[in-house]
Amino acid sequence: MEGVKYIVGVADMKISNVPGDVIVTHALGSCLGITIHDPVAQVGGLLHVMMPYSSIDRAKAEANPWMFVDTGLSKFFLEAYAAGAVKGRLQVKVAGGANVQSNGDDRFAIGTRNHIVLRKMFLQNNILIAAEDVGGTAARTLCLEIGSGRVLLGSRGVEREF
Amino acid sequence: MSEAVTHAVLAKIRSLPSVPGTAANVLRLLRNPRMDALRIERAVRYDPGLTANILKLSNSAYFGYRGTIASIRQAVVRLGWNRMYQLIIATSIHGVMEEPVPGYELPRGELWRHSIGVAVAAEALVRELKLPPSEEAFTAALLHDVGKLVLGVFVAADFDAIQDLAAQGMSFEEAERRVLGIDHCEAGGRILQSWFFPPVLVSAARSHHEPDSVEPTSALLDIVHVADMICLMFGMGLGQEGLQYRPAEGALTRLRIESIHLERVGSRVVSEVDEVMNALNPNAVETETSEEKE
Repeated sequence: MEGVKYIVGVADMKISNVPGDVIVTHALGSCLGITIHDPVAQVGGLLHVMMPYSSIDRAKAEANPWMFVDTGLSKFFLEAYAAGAVKGRLQVKVAGGANVQSNGDDRFAIGTRNHIVLRKMFLQNNILIAAEDVGGTAARTLCLEIGSGRVLLGSRGVEREF
Repeated sequence: MSEAVTHAVLAKIRSLPSVPGTAANVLRLLRNPRMDALRIERAVRYDPGLTANILKLSNSAYFGYRGTIASIRQAVVRLGWNRMYQLIIATSIHGVMEEPVPGYELPRGELWRHSIGVAVAAEALVRELKLPPSEEAFTAALLHDVGKLVLGVFVAADFDAIQDLAAQGMSFEEAERRVLGIDHCEAGGRILQSWFFPPVLVSAARSHHEPDSVEPTSALLDIVHVADMICLMFGMGLGQEGLQYRPAEGALTRLRIESIHLERVGSRVVSEVDEVMNALNPNAVETETSEEKE
């Protein structure tokens, strides 16, 4: 089926229920890319969040909730439910959360903090992660096919299903 | 082997075209403190592309005079010499910085996006840390990675060897030096030197990954270094080498950086970078989720 390829930028998301659609995000560094997919309803989405907590700038979070894990994640799931997805059927995959090389200094460990806050929110809401590729120093690309639910992860020129 | 590569890199730098004529002229005029707006306007007027781009940028929200500047003379008077200098450099290097960069595997436009991002981040960092205003921060940041344009093909040829060293914990630019005999920072410094840019900009490009190695230390260099890290972490201009770069402890201490500063600046850059890019090239980016028909 003919579909549209959506490119999700930093602090943005896309939900689709059109089987031919493909949703991609490029250059995940410390940011997290989260894909969700309901294979029965054929609804899926991709979220690209930057930072853990919206408390650093409430006005920014108001203008763009997708910037932060705490404001973006719940809204993302709610929009998928509104499009027909059912929580118990969702396949959730996570990639990104890389950090710069460190000398043990955690000020730059935004990737790790993003991941910790995400895991905490998933735990509180009984959401299981089907696959994740998180941490290290790699740049990653994430791609979700709405029809098949296939998720492709790219890094250093190599793409694999995950 | 690396000596031959280093020579090839230096030869390529020497063969680079210089900054376009009008821009070079105007930059020379701007460095003269007794210059008046009328003479700048006369010099720019002969280059319609430069005029259009300067007016477009002057009228963008980022530079603060949305839709109110109608001539180069007005732009000089209202924005001041320093902003004019930044705008002319930005417009004159835009074309070359738009190119895709092999080695780092940056698609077309991504090095330019990174450069603008770091420029916006550097100014945001100065405000966030309440540092004295820095006239050079924007331009130094804009030019810091120009060396990647030349070094890219050499990195592509030896990527596996460089990456093997980086995978063992060496920073990517140090691995470049080990394998190629020169890194993208030094290459950038030499390019800017050959374009007759002021020493402060040459030095910022040359040492942007190692601000602690410079004596005396420089707040400008520290700012460019941290602004670069912020943009890479948030994926702006992030190449296939990923985040294999190391924040300089001394710079972080001198600037008293906390993680909240990094996050606040990051959030501002993401909101502002498209606006500045659109001012230079309306077709460059879309701020909404973009669509491509399959």
